[in-house]
Amino acid sequence: MRLEKCYICSSTVYPGHGIQFIRNDAKVFRFCRSKCRKTFHMKRNPRYLKWTKAYRKSHGKEMAVDSTFEFERKRQRIERYDRELVGKTIQAIQKVDAVRTKREKEYYKNRMKQAKKQSQKTAVRELEKGISLIEPDILRVNQAVKAKDAVQQSVAMLDEDRQANDS
Amino acid sequence: MVTYNLKKIQLVPGAKDLIDIVLSKTQRKTPTVIHRHYAIARIRQFYMRKVKFAQQTFHDKLAQILEDFPQVDEIHPFYADLLNVLYDRDHYKLALGQVSKAKSLIDNLSKEYLRLLKYGDSLYRCKMLKRAAVGRMCTIVKRLASAFSYLEQVRQHMARLPSIDPHMRCLIIAGYPNVGKSSFMNLITRANVDVQPYPFTTKSLYVGHMDYKYLRWQVIDTPGILDKPLEERNTIEMQSITALAHLRAAVLFFLDPSEHCGYSWEQQMALLYSLEPLFVDKPVIVVCNKTDLSWSNAQRVEEELNALLDNQQEKKGTVSELETNNNKKQQRLTICGWRKMSTLEKTGVIQVRNAACDWLLSQRVESKVRGPRAQSILNRLHVAIPAGVDQNQQEAGELSLCRPFIPESVWKKRQATTTNTAFHTEEEMEREEEDENKQPKQSNVVVLEKDREMAHGGAGVYSSDWNKQYWMRDESWKYDIMPEIIQGHNIMDFVDADIDERLAALEEEEVAREAMMNVDNDEEEQQEGEQALDQETQQRLQRIREKKALLIRGRSKSRNPIGANKMTKAHPKRSEDWKQQWKELGMDESFLQSTTQQIISNRSQSREAKSHSPAPRSSSRSTSTYRWNQTKADAGKGFLNHQQKQKAMRLARKAIRGISKKDRRKGEADRTIYNENPKHLLAGKRKLGKTQRR
Repeated sequence: MRLEKCYICSSTVYPGHGIQFIRNDAKVFRFCRSKCRKTFHMKRNPRYLKWTKAYRKSHGKEMAVDSTFEFERKRQRIERYDRELVGKTIQAIQKVDAVRTKREKEYYKNRMKQAKKQSQKTAVRELEKGISLIEPDILRVNQAVKAKDAVQQSVAMLDEDRQANDS
Repeated sequence: MVTYNLKKIQLVPGAKDLIDIVLSKTQRKTPTVIHRHYAIARIRQFYMRKVKFAQQTFHDKLAQILEDFPQVDEIHPFYADLLNVLYDRDHYKLALGQVSKAKSLIDNLSKEYLRLLKYGDSLYRCKMLKRAAVGRMCTIVKRLASAFSYLEQVRQHMARLPSIDPHMRCLIIAGYPNVGKSSFMNLITRANVDVQPYPFTTKSLYVGHMDYKYLRWQVIDTPGILDKPLEERNTIEMQSITALAHLRAAVLFFLDPSEHCGYSWEQQMALLYSLEPLFVDKPVIVVCNKTDLSWSNAQRVEEELNALLDNQQEKKGTVSELETNNNKKQQRLTICGWRKMSTLEKTGVIQVRNAACDWLLSQRVESKVRGPRAQSILNRLHVAIPAGVDQNQQEAGELSLCRPFIPESVWKKRQATTTNTAFHTEEEMEREEEDENKQPKQSNVVVLEKDREMAHGGAGVYSSDWNKQYWMRDESWKYDIMPEIIQGHNIMDFVDADIDERLAALEEEEVAREAMMNVDNDEEEQQEGEQALDQETQQRLQRIREKKALLIRGRSKSRNPIGANKMTKAHPKRSEDWKQQWKELGMDESFLQSTTQQIISNRSQSREAKSHSPAPRSSSRSTSTYRWNQTKADAGKGFLNHQQKQKAMRLARKAIRGISKKDRRKGEADRTIYNENPKHLLAGKRKLGKTQRR
């Protein structure tokens, strides 16, 4: 009994779930659900389907290369059971898992950095370009006129003061 | 190697038939329409084609005949002689020669006429030339009539000849007529040769096949031979002679010591001697048939035949003696052996057959080994002998060069098991098991799982404990239950002898990485803090985005008034709404007042200027924006005036009220399903099919 990976979406297929297709060249294809099976029979490539692990990995959406992945690999040769070794392995699995999830999180964060920058950039541009929508030009003209008036008034007052002083 | 498919020769047509075939084929396969006014080149080409085609067809047919019939000089001498005996070699060669000559004549003739046709100056002349050419060809073929009829007869006879492979292992049965050759043949093969109690029942060669030592053998039954000079022999006898002369085979010479065949013993022996020249390099076995009858001269028979056997030994010993001998003929004849047999009682038949086959086989092998091909193979062969093998043993010819190695412990175990008997009762079994537990090393007895199962109630009741047999580093692990899955992983995929080191390496790497990341993170956070937008700016951005969304929705209304969203109001219609919005934007109250006044006054001026403006509007419309005025241009686009258009639109809007957006787009021609849930499909018992499909 072992957990298999779905051929299309790479999700884990638990015993008693999914379906497997054996081609007449004896290659075994396992599918987690009918969606994946149908996709396969429609001859679609999992690399070009956005919802599959293969797509996400090949397009850099998820961590694809890492030293934690090297711990898990299918053995063709059968190992003899060793109680101590299995005990150590079980503990190791948990540790490796923890490291992997941490790295995945960091990977995601790094990936999002660029997007954050981009969104900030667009926000600034939007503010510059769309300001007329919420604060119409006429309003700003009004305020500018007011400011101008105030300046002119103060200038006039200054002139008056100066004249008064001169006289 | 030449293969003799005498059965596959194609039918030889008569001369008349051949002419008919060729002429009709020429007519069918070449163009038939030609006119006087055609270009002369075309006319010439038309007739040349006909002549050429007729010649080609004749050529093909004759070539086919020549190819099918075997050439006497090329085939195996046995067949060549057989053809000579049966069909007369000269006649055969002459017929084929005639055919060949006719072929070349026809070829030359057509060449000549084609040359003439090149200079034909009219349709008529061309036609006459063609006629002459084809006519002459037919005449040539007509002269072959006798050759064709002869070849056809030969063909029919050949097809019925037995298919004898001259290179195969072969037994030839020969002897006087009526000595039991055919009945022997019937016994050892599945051939069904006619057997009758009179001489010359068999008039031609017969072939049967049999298996001996997993090999295929052919047995040839020959017609009886009489003792007379070769020139006087008839066709039937000559067939036998041909077979004896040319086939490399074992000869079974049949004798009838009881003389019931009608020929005396002396006559039969004389024949044997006279046939001697044919027996060179062939194993000859003399078979004395009809032991079921009384032999008057049994003594003499044995003596004479034994003398022949001795003869062979002498010959081996000294060659010079042989030449000096008076009765050369008698002395020269050597036989491999002689046997007694009765085809009636079926005694000694198989012995005769086996002896003949063995002699022939050994002779063939010998000749092969002497041949050049065998030598080239033998030169390359090397028989390796293991170093440990005793030289004496090898010389003694023992087959097993190497003894199997059996360890001491296995020997002992084997002996122990043979002395012990199997367990049968449960008590005995248990006792044994206890013994085993107490002193497992000392007891030699092996308790099999099968025995244990039988003792504990048989299959289905007792199940064997396989874990006991597991082979592990620690005995106590045998009954462990191994977990296979944890946290979505297969444990076996992670098992590794150096897991500890690898894990340690990973953790080290992780620590180093974390340190690096912390430095980077600090820098980034600072940068982010600088770039981040403050609360107020974010709110403004939010408002801009909402506004944009409203504008987009409003735009769709202007494009399609029917499909517009009533809730969107990007541009307020009423002046109150206008004012409200401007106030929200933070415009000065007094400025707002003045601006609206200005707009209204502007509009009233324009209205006054255009006295033909439409009839009074409702009070609510009177205060609406200048956008309204823009729609005035609609008058004239299929409507008399603006009001008419307004009315039409109002009615249109009213008509579609209460109809869903999707349905508004529907036309009369569109497909409709009137009843989406028909009762006859959805109600009642399910007998045939499913809910979805019946």
